[in-house]
Amino acid sequence: MAAGEVHALLGENGAGKTTLMNVLLGLVRPDRGSLALGGRPVDLRAWGPRAARDAGVGMVHQHSTLVPAFRVEENLAFGEPEAGRWYRPRAARARAEALRERFGLDVPLGIPAELLSVGQQQRAEILRALGRGARVLALDEPTAALTPGEARALFPVLRRLAASGCAVIFISHKLEEIREVADRVTVLRRGRSEGTVDPRATDARSLGRMMLGRDPGERPGAAEAPAVPAPGAPPALAVRGLRAPGLREASALRDLSFEVAAGEIVGVAGIDGNGQRELEEVLAGVRRPSAGRLEVDGREVPFGTRALRARGVAHLSGDRARAGLVGGMSIAENLVLKGSYDDRRFFRTARYRAGAAVEYAARRIEAFGIVPPDPRRAVALLSGGNAQKVAVARELEGAPRALVAVNPTRGLDLGSTGFVHEQLLALKAGGSAILLISTELEEVLALAGRVLALVRGRLLPVPAGADRESLGAILLGEPAAETAA
Amino acid sequence: MTALRSLAAAGAALGLAGVVIAALGFSPVDALRALVAGSLGSTAAWTATLLKTGPLLLTGLSVALAFRCGVWNIGAEGQLLAGALAATALATRVAPEAPAALLLPLVALGGAAAAAALGALAGLLRATRGVSEVISTILLNFIAIQAVAWAVQGPLQEASGAYPQSDALPAAARLPALGRVHAGVWVAFAAALAAAWLLFRTPLGFRLRAVGLSPLAARFAGISPERHAVAAFAIAGALAGAAGAFEVAGVTGRLYQGLSPGYGYTAIAVALLARLHPLAVVPSALFFGALEAGAGAMQREAGIPSVATQVVQGVVILFSVGFALPRKAG
Amino acid sequence: MEALLEAAVRLAAPLLLAALGELVVERAGVVNIGIEGMMLVGAFAAFAAASASGSPALGVAAALAAAALLGALFAAAAVLARADQIVVGTAVNLLALGATGLGLRAAFPAGATDAPGIADVAFPLLSELPVVGPVLFRQSPYVWLSLALCAAVGFFLARTRAGLVLRAVGEAARAADAEGVSVPAVRCLAVLFGAAAAGLAGSLLTLSQSHVFSEGMTAGRGFIALTVVIFGRWSSLGVLGAALFFGLASALQFRLQARGLGIPYPVFLMFPYAVTLAALALAAGGARAPGDLARPYARESREAG
Repeated sequence: MAAGEVHALLGENGAGKTTLMNVLLGLVRPDRGSLALGGRPVDLRAWGPRAARDAGVGMVHQHSTLVPAFRVEENLAFGEPEAGRWYRPRAARARAEALRERFGLDVPLGIPAELLSVGQQQRAEILRALGRGARVLALDEPTAALTPGEARALFPVLRRLAASGCAVIFISHKLEEIREVADRVTVLRRGRSEGTVDPRATDARSLGRMMLGRDPGERPGAAEAPAVPAPGAPPALAVRGLRAPGLREASALRDLSFEVAAGEIVGVAGIDGNGQRELEEVLAGVRRPSAGRLEVDGREVPFGTRALRARGVAHLSGDRARAGLVGGMSIAENLVLKGSYDDRRFFRTARYRAGAAVEYAARRIEAFGIVPPDPRRAVALLSGGNAQKVAVARELEGAPRALVAVNPTRGLDLGSTGFVHEQLLALKAGGSAILLISTELEEVLALAGRVLALVRGRLLPVPAGADRESLGAILLGEPAAETAA
Repeated sequence: MTALRSLAAAGAALGLAGVVIAALGFSPVDALRALVAGSLGSTAAWTATLLKTGPLLLTGLSVALAFRCGVWNIGAEGQLLAGALAATALATRVAPEAPAALLLPLVALGGAAAAAALGALAGLLRATRGVSEVISTILLNFIAIQAVAWAVQGPLQEASGAYPQSDALPAAARLPALGRVHAGVWVAFAAALAAAWLLFRTPLGFRLRAVGLSPLAARFAGISPERHAVAAFAIAGALAGAAGAFEVAGVTGRLYQGLSPGYGYTAIAVALLARLHPLAVVPSALFFGALEAGAGAMQREAGIPSVATQVVQGVVILFSVGFALPRKAG
Repeated sequence: MEALLEAAVRLAAPLLLAALGELVVERAGVVNIGIEGMMLVGAFAAFAAASASGSPALGVAAALAAAALLGALFAAAAVLARADQIVVGTAVNLLALGATGLGLRAAFPAGATDAPGIADVAFPLLSELPVVGPVLFRQSPYVWLSLALCAAVGFFLARTRAGLVLRAVGEAARAADAEGVSVPAVRCLAVLFGAAAAGLAGSLLTLSQSHVFSEGMTAGRGFIALTVVIFGRWSSLGVLGAALFFGLASALQFRLQARGLGIPYPVFLMFPYAVTLAALALAAGGARAPGDLARPYARESREAG
């Protein structure tokens, strides 16, 4: 890329954008290839974070690396390589002000970074990188945490930076933003570049295709006709008007409403950070919504994990190692974990029937083919696939009324993935309602009879029969209509 | 950390102490001989050992249980004193005339309850105000020490007013004993069994373990980490409080300052050496109990200051910690 | 009145020294509850060395060395091996108690009294000033040392690059690491400094405040220093204020005791702890503990994909 250019990097999760940046920053050594800065090739064997910084490479990460308790000028001073032994607050502030003026970045000084808005923090990080003499500045998903207004305010800043001679790398999966700010875009898929094009001259469908590829994939879910619920029967699971605060601005849930009928798999597709975690936590009874309600079979469910479970809502966690399973406990104990208050098979008043749990676990282990077949073995010692089998065995027990499954095959090998998918389909055939929240588009398309797209905390409709490209385009922020063939 | 490592830690600690002793010009062999004789060599020795083991067992359980549930109970010392204080108050002021059948359980339960409240306070401060329980329990320790001092110089002071100590506990409040070994010691052993049973055979214990190992997964399973932290603290407090009650009702017969030679702190070493397992706390407490009992003999006969045991305790902690304190995730 | 203030300052000095050391340690993100033990070994080492050599200066040096040794042990276990800081601190205290007790019996079987001490010094003109004179200028050199250290620590934290780095390590170790700062190195250095300060405070006890050493003579001062840091909200000025507060309260108590009225001594002694606890419980916002306090830092794998 040239100085003064804003170059976007487009790709799904796992496409290699972060790895590429890590190479640039000197955090990862590539096996092959070359890197040249300012016309001079770089010795990749000696390339490390210090060298990268000295050569003028800077990055603004998704998660702030500012020291929260420090004021902006202190953060700037902290990162400075040359400054002497003393720290002079007034001089630091003057320096910060000068930088601010020079690049036209509006950042309040004199208050701790943690009190700044996300947009301000981001500008502070840009300022810090510029203060260190960055000539190549990469920004990783910079608008992910911003409000639409703040996002719009960012673009002129980036153009100004480019105009001042910086080369700006803009990593994103939001097409409209890439169109607005980038001169060129390189699309990455599975670690390869699919090409570099002018975003304004290329249509969304083509970009979507470049990003997602042309793999057909099976679609057993869609092949079957969507289950037709008995007329007049309320849906097995319904969410109405759900609002919930988010970890970040972009992931707060806004007025979500949808239904899942018995015997139906509804997929919620989306790129990480658009509200999946919040939605999952609300449906698991761990995050309290600020508005809205959950209904099972037409009746409202009060908030809380146990209430949901009592009404037959199961939850297959997206973070099995930390939130789904207790690594230090055995397979048996994990299988009975959620029943400690009410499952009389194992938990009587003042008595935990460990022996019964072990026997039960042995049966489940056999049914699900968990290896090694030792009910007393700690779950932390199992492979990912086997650990997930434990979680699946637990959640699918007793054919729940509704299952919320989140990224159920993340980190699993092909065999385990197939197994999980079989289980989900069997559960569906048995009449349970399944809500599949996944960042794996192929998985969603393959299993779900109906697909919704979760974009910035809102659910967007996806036309029936939509394929990968259209879905990809929707996730990129293009309205469905534009992608109709 | 396996049992082998516990043994290694204990052995290494003793070995190191031996080296220090030799370096100071004393004979480690004499020291060991006196230690063993003083702790295990005669009925009197065994008595002394058991009398030290009792409170160490209870406070050790207190610490072990708490640590396992993810709460750092550094306040066992203060909880012990609170238990002793409450027991003395109940026995000498509230119901001194009551019959033994009533007074004994009152004293024991009252001590446990008072200390449980103290522990729960630390737990609540953590759950509601985010105050680190490490700091709050240490502060409460000091408050408890002074509370005892105040009590024995003031409202609980003996009638004659001669010394800063309480009245002697009425006979009805004294624990029955076999020789000098009071019932509290046996209760302590039973408590170890009860603690193991609680932890591994009851729903509450199951949930406490889950919270200790993974608060996040516990939450998703409908188990509240905050509530269980308070519960863990209350139980831990009760155990330490019982130790305090038993000390006044079984050993000293009255309350005074300096009642505890730091049992609550030694308990940390006891718990760590036992890898936080309630049943393993028994041999661990016996080890340290023997150490304390034998230390007196060691001082008398081999001339080695009994204070050497603290060196052993410190080293045991360091070695135990070096090997594996279960690092709680989440 | 003057006598009261003079006593307050005098009693505050050891607290101030130890607390300043702990302030630096905690600003770097480490909690060292072993300062009690480090003070104790400092007190003993100072006493032993001074008695043996007749030179108080040697005593001070010995105190610094002994405490630093303990500090190195703490640093190795808590920072490098990343063992739990609280537990290691407890171990340090126990070790110190045992070691000094042993040392006492071994080296001074007849009792430890009469160390050559450090006398109070009076500044020629300044000590004649009303009020301020005796309070500030007719004191032990330790008092001036502690005040100077207070200013130095404050300056260091706020006005030097190294101080900025240390604060970053304590607030956000990951961010500091990303900047190329060696988090363990900074923390180890901080711990050594804190230990030395505690040792110095201990030497004050046996060389200036009294000239004897007895078992466990620190009597919880190290823990009070911990609360001074919290009370002082992790700032050097705050620590100064809190230490003076406790010193004043002690002085007051002695006064009231002498007069035969007032609160029972133990209730009074409870006071600093109860107040700190209350302050902690009620604290809402405002100055707070360094962000990464008591969290061992381990750099995660760099090969994040």
